[in-house]
Amino acid sequence: MYQWLWQRLPGGAPSKAICAAILAIATAALLWFIVFPWITPLLPVDHVMPGG
Amino acid sequence: MRTVLRVFGECCLTAGAVLLLFLAYLLWGTTLATSAHQHAFASQLQRQWGDQRDAKPATTRLHLVTGQPFAFIRVPRFGLHWRFAIVQGTDLPQLALGPGHVPGTALPGQIGNFAVAAHRVTAGNPFYDLNQLRPGDRVVIITAAATYTYRVTHAELVLPGDTAVLDPVPGHPRQRPDQAMITLITCDPPWTGTHRIIVFGSLHAQAPRTGHTG
Repeated sequence: MYQWLWQRLPGGAPSKAICAAILAIATAALLWFIVFPWITPLLPVDHVMPGG
Repeated sequence: MRTVLRVFGECCLTAGAVLLLFLAYLLWGTTLATSAHQHAFASQLQRQWGDQRDAKPATTRLHLVTGQPFAFIRVPRFGLHWRFAIVQGTDLPQLALGPGHVPGTALPGQIGNFAVAAHRVTAGNPFYDLNQLRPGDRVVIITAAATYTYRVTHAELVLPGDTAVLDPVPGHPRQRPDQAMITLITCDPPWTGTHRIIVFGSLHAQAPRTGHTG
């Protein structure tokens, strides 16, 4: 999977490395700012209200 | 076969990395977000209270808007710098902002039961040390009008379904309240939803608010 991705990134090794880093950071940001805030209330983490 | 194994391994590694990131988000991400909201709330309240002081301090009424702050809570046992703005509402979106006032319960200083719930962990861990409170400890609520000092009377560990702790007289749904109480609520053990720690207190003193720093 990662090998497949690596082969499709443009340019030589340095260029590929930079693209890979950008992709990784973008994925992490997507998770951190969109996915995690959305999923946290759906998990049974630290529910504090009586009856809830 | 080798390709399948490799892809499987890569998926496992990816899932592990995502889980680690999620853990970091729960530990630090939610706290960062909450502290940003709390900073904004602190300056918002100080600005509002500054305006009200020039107007009519004695007749200041609390405006309760879901998700908006209306008071500060201080607990000296948790440290001198421990302070949170209390917002109206205790659904998860409000608890993500800070401790929440349970809708329908009394207001600070009022006869009845002023109930406040907050996260034990995540969102700045507001009530992490709630189990450390002892009878006699002070819980200070600061509103636009006054500073209310409650003293802890007792604590209980209850099941999540026990909503009687929110009654005007906790545990006695039909009784008319004759004293001003406070009820602090969080979960126990941390991270779970199996029990609730409930700390009760009663109003000990109240004084007009001095300054507008809360």
